[in-house]
Amino acid sequence: MLDFFQSLSDGVLFGSTYALIGIGFTLVFGVMHKLNLSYAAASVGGAYCGLLVLQVFAGAPPVVVFFCAFLAGGLLGWLVYLTCFHFIPISNPLATLMATVGMLLLIDEIIVHLTAGMPVGYPAMFDDVMLRMGEFTVRGDLLMVFAVSMLCMGGLLALLYKTRLGLATRAVSQQTVAALLCGIRVGQVNAMTFVITGLLGGIAGAMIGASVGTLSPLLTTPLTTKGLIVTVIGGLGSVPGAIIAGLLVGGFENVLQQYRGVTERDLYVMLLLFVFLVFRPGGLFAPKGGRD
Amino acid sequence: MALLELKAVSRHFGGVRAVDGLDLSVEQGQVFGLLGPNGSGKRTTVNLVSGLFPLSSGSVTFQGNSLDGLATHLRLQTGIARTFQNIRLFGQLSVWQNLWVAQNSPQDRARHGFFARWLGGQSGAREEILPLLEFSGLAHKQDELASNLSFGEQRRLELARAMATRPKLLLLDEPAAGMNSEEVGQLRERILSLRGSGVTILLVEHVMELVMGVTDCIAVLNFGQKIAEGTPAEIQANPAVRKAYLGGETA
Amino acid sequence: MDFYFGLAQIIGVHTLIGLSAYIVLLTGQVSLAQAGFFAVGAYVAGMLTVLAGWAILPALAASAVLGAVVACAVGFPALRVKGLMLVIVTLAFGEGVRLFFFNFDYQVAKGGVKLGPLGSEGFRQIRYFPENGWTTMDVMLFIWVFVTLAMALLWWFDRSRYGAVLRAVGEDELAAQSVGLNLTAVKVSAMTIGGAIAGLGGGIYAHYTTHIEHASFGILLATFALAYPILGGLGSVFGTLLAAMFVQGFLVEGLRFLGDWRNLLFGALIVLAMNVRPKGFLDAPTLLGLKRLFGGKSGAA
Repeated sequence: MLDFFQSLSDGVLFGSTYALIGIGFTLVFGVMHKLNLSYAAASVGGAYCGLLVLQVFAGAPPVVVFFCAFLAGGLLGWLVYLTCFHFIPISNPLATLMATVGMLLLIDEIIVHLTAGMPVGYPAMFDDVMLRMGEFTVRGDLLMVFAVSMLCMGGLLALLYKTRLGLATRAVSQQTVAALLCGIRVGQVNAMTFVITGLLGGIAGAMIGASVGTLSPLLTTPLTTKGLIVTVIGGLGSVPGAIIAGLLVGGFENVLQQYRGVTERDLYVMLLLFVFLVFRPGGLFAPKGGRD
Repeated sequence: MALLELKAVSRHFGGVRAVDGLDLSVEQGQVFGLLGPNGSGKRTTVNLVSGLFPLSSGSVTFQGNSLDGLATHLRLQTGIARTFQNIRLFGQLSVWQNLWVAQNSPQDRARHGFFARWLGGQSGAREEILPLLEFSGLAHKQDELASNLSFGEQRRLELARAMATRPKLLLLDEPAAGMNSEEVGQLRERILSLRGSGVTILLVEHVMELVMGVTDCIAVLNFGQKIAEGTPAEIQANPAVRKAYLGGETA
Repeated sequence: MDFYFGLAQIIGVHTLIGLSAYIVLLTGQVSLAQAGFFAVGAYVAGMLTVLAGWAILPALAASAVLGAVVACAVGFPALRVKGLMLVIVTLAFGEGVRLFFFNFDYQVAKGGVKLGPLGSEGFRQIRYFPENGWTTMDVMLFIWVFVTLAMALLWWFDRSRYGAVLRAVGEDELAAQSVGLNLTAVKVSAMTIGGAIAGLGGGIYAHYTTHIEHASFGILLATFALAYPILGGLGSVFGTLLAAMFVQGFLVEGLRFLGDWRNLLFGALIVLAMNVRPKGFLDAPTLLGLKRLFGGKSGAA
């Protein structure tokens, strides 16, 4: 029983990174009704870019690395927007989808090329801290990951609901044409959405690196599928849904890893997705209506 | 017995009653006009009959059978076809192919075997499609992509595509929108010739010149309810109709 | 010479999986599950020839049938969700299949050796071709017979009403419904035919490589499957063939001297191609233009 709660709590804490990735997919979907399949790869890419700081200033504190990953993620998000969305007519959804897949492969290959495919160590914070409650423990680095992720989500929600940019973003996602008629520059809002999701992605990649201890290009595929699964379970386009689904998937997979082993774990995550598709196809928080 | 019968039909969108307790009965062979200001529920009525969304309450019967819960493609097989106000052709298909894909009527099924119908080449469908090309005046453009046609040609093709399904009842959703008066005149001839061949038509239209010229009977809607029904002459003389349309002037 | 025969084998199998995605794409559905059907076909055909001792043709027939059955079974629930949801669902299904084979052990002792799929080790010793003395050229010709058949089938579809119906559904579902087409039936039929072609391709693949493992059937293969018809354009089956030849022949083999860099080029090329020609190389207007250029009489004329 203790094992169960231990792996559940570790999983939920780590799941906050899935939530960030899920938010990235879901925001772009909400605003543009497009899938950005390169998102998880760009997030990992952003995390790698954070490491570049260590090349320049050996011994830079982890916080600096994380912050650089955050910025690099935003830059990558903008690049993805420019290469895969900006110039392709909106009436060609296949082309944008395919372009993001191309971008996924490109980012993946650049990482493989530059690191020779080997995992790279990633700095962490509080990894020697361990909170104990009897037998039950909470790893300090996971707690840090969770706290940072929650902070980013809080920042995002404040941005979405308290600022004019957030208002414009929500307007575009609900009624693009009406927003256009109100003088909102939809192109700019779309680009900003990519930068914002990119920033989130960069921090998500850095947090994954920090909690696992290493980064590897092998992370991108599972992270892409899990992020998408989180998006579907949470309800396409729903930010709170993605947060809850991310924590749920994180806890679920860690518990199954405990009982069924690491190779079978992901198979059960897929099954969880299909259970949702059969019984609750709209996800936890299916947005009502939406744009036509 | 009426061909199409709507009894106490309502459709709500959230709190909006787009159609509210509508009774309508269209007789076999009629051209029935549906008039009303924008937002009066005409298009919703057409969408309810063609099955694009379900009724909130009431019943729709066609040839004495309830259409309740019948999917759009199955309604078509009972003989209800439609056109769209914003033309919905298959733009990347040729004119011929647009007419070809619509051959799903029970008559077509009976005439050709499964393999001939699905996997047969174009030549197998000449007999059915040539008259439709003739009817739409597009015979010389049969291999052109539908998206390359002019606006008027696209309207004609859409009408011909609806006819390719061999309907008993044809729902025309503003077929004259955006046409000049010469084209409206041609459309009028087409509608009359369709009536001559025994097709019943439910016409939603704003262009009065067309509605008054071809319809046998007109119902006027306002706020989802029927406010008048009668022959074109009766409708033109009806004060309630004038008020609904020209509210500002008479009130 | 064997190098070129081997290359032709790869192009052939990739054309098959591209064609399986092509027919599904015609109905406007983006499926990343084709690699999953391909994997099912590969494992089934391999197990039938190695463990059950079947001949190659019945084994391939079985893999095509099973690919079709799985695709049909996935298609019914999956096609109820629309557009982008389908991308996600099929991606998850494909990954699910891969993970299934990652965990799949079924070994039987044959002549003192244990044969059969073994989890992450994969499935080795699918040696039907070498055991029966087929040369590389025989295998290559064998593969291209199937590629030709599949292309002929899809080419014929394009000349028939069925092909027009597939494209009509892909273009405007509402209008397609309104002319009496049953959307579910049309989409599931396309998915089933695509599954059969992918299953067949997988069966062939298992035998020419003689060694299959879960990692070969990942998201990269699913991407390749989609990339061929999208890069080639949905106007004609020949677009898919051209794209498979270009990618496998030129980008992967022809640029081998570039080493790792050519992998970078592949992703970048997709991005570039989609910006320059969003509708692919052979799209409908281009085809019409080509037809007119060569004065070919089309269709009913």
